[in-house]
Amino acid sequence: MVTKTEETQLNRLESQVDNGGGGAWEYLCLVRKLKVRRSVKVLKHGLWILNDSKKRSSLGPEEWTLYEQVAVAAMDCQSLDVAKDCVNVLQKKFPESKRVGRLEAMLLEAKGSWGEAEKAYSSLLEDNPFDQVVHKRRVALVKAQGNLSGAIDFLNKYLETFMADHDAWRELAEIYISLQMYKQAAFCYEELILSQPTVPLYHLAYADVLYTLGGIENLLTAKKYYSITIDLTGGKNTRALFGNLSVHVSYCTAFKRTKQGRQGQSRLAIFGVSSFGERVQAESF
Amino acid sequence: MAEDLVLDTAIRDWVLIPLTVVMILIGILRYFVSKLMQSQQTPDAKVVKEGQVVVRARNLRAGANFIPAKSFRARRAYFSNEENGLLHVPKGQGQNPQAQMFSDPNMAMDMMKKNLSMIIPQTLTFAWVNFFFSGFVAAKIPFPLTQRFRSMLQNGIDLSTVDVSYVSSRSWYFLNLFGLRGLFSLILGEENAMDDTQRMMQMGGFGFDPTKIDTAKVVLTGIDGYCHWGYTAL
Repeated sequence: MVTKTEETQLNRLESQVDNGGGGAWEYLCLVRKLKVRRSVKVLKHGLWILNDSKKRSSLGPEEWTLYEQVAVAAMDCQSLDVAKDCVNVLQKKFPESKRVGRLEAMLLEAKGSWGEAEKAYSSLLEDNPFDQVVHKRRVALVKAQGNLSGAIDFLNKYLETFMADHDAWRELAEIYISLQMYKQAAFCYEELILSQPTVPLYHLAYADVLYTLGGIENLLTAKKYYSITIDLTGGKNTRALFGNLSVHVSYCTAFKRTKQGRQGQSRLAIFGVSSFGERVQAESF
Repeated sequence: MAEDLVLDTAIRDWVLIPLTVVMILIGILRYFVSKLMQSQQTPDAKVVKEGQVVVRARNLRAGANFIPAKSFRARRAYFSNEENGLLHVPKGQGQNPQAQMFSDPNMAMDMMKKNLSMIIPQTLTFAWVNFFFSGFVAAKIPFPLTQRFRSMLQNGIDLSTVDVSYVSSRSWYFLNLFGLRGLFSLILGEENAMDDTQRMMQMGGFGFDPTKIDTAKVVLTGIDGYCHWGYTAL
């Protein structure tokens, strides 16, 4: 996760470079370090550096890293000729490199030749079964073809070995949600909460999934998690406040006939209504 | 004893500066040699998986109060189940990490190489300093010292009346040894093989005997004994 200071620094550098103030190389290094997805800007400024041979030679050995970064950005923006040029340059320089092999396979994937890309990734994985990036690219490939259950298979196999990779858990949770497999998605979100308990996003998503699952126990747990999110975000997260409210409403309508329902936590409900109302008013001005 | 000795400036030119320059050059040489000698380590499937399992189990223990009790119990059973739990190691078979370290030839070679690359240049330089630069006063330390330091700092100087602040070149060698670390991290970048002092501290810290510590078992006992209280306040 990108911290607030890093984010402000990134935005500052971005506006500086956009207005012609120089510092393109620092911007590109920061984007690479933080792994954010700013492909259009990376492509524009990267090409600006690479096309000028003086600037290019001033980079020294970092030039090849820049080629790699620009190649990936070009693939993201679908400028496949630019990507192909960059990959060719890298291939001439490093003919037997696995990293370049990976880029070539990504280029095949970007072009849409699924079969060839799949073959390329499998052969890369045979050489080095611990290359996490190639595993994940294979999952992305399968997902892009629309084969979500295949993506789930690959991801599960990946997570059997690399079970501490929280990005993979997050991706798996989102796939499960899109397939409406909410119980499994809840499991994934629990993993995420365990590894990063201070990120309110995961608590919120978990609460959403529990609320969708329904049932009295899940509703109560969802209420707890909405409250935790409100706590972690200092009351500023409108979605959590709304979720809190919705849980109360469903709880009361579904279970008001039972004694438990009538005893329901009305103080929290009243607080929920008032704070949600305030928040909506604050945001609409 | 309080008189000021006037030291020849030739000492500064021909002893202090060359010694520093030589140590810097030797450091840079070691850095490049270590880069060349780095062997490619192919990770073992079992080791990778076990490492990840341990991280996940540790997360489970640390964040156990953030997930519902039922999920925690399910995960705990997954890790510590008698028959097929991931972390469960049957009594006689606990992997002994240190024995494993020595039986694995690659790791043993790596450790030896790292240790040697630290010990040999240090020994050689020290011998060189002692041979060429002993027997005279090299420098004066700007603050006064007690008599206890005499044997350490004045090894070649056999006069017992000289103030302890006047030291021999051996102490200049040690000063450089510990002080050039900061310089190396500036010119060689953060990750360099020059962190001798760190490694020396690590070797000293081995006294806690890694044979008795089996990571998986530690995490397992931690999880087993965990009492889950969950979010009861809400």
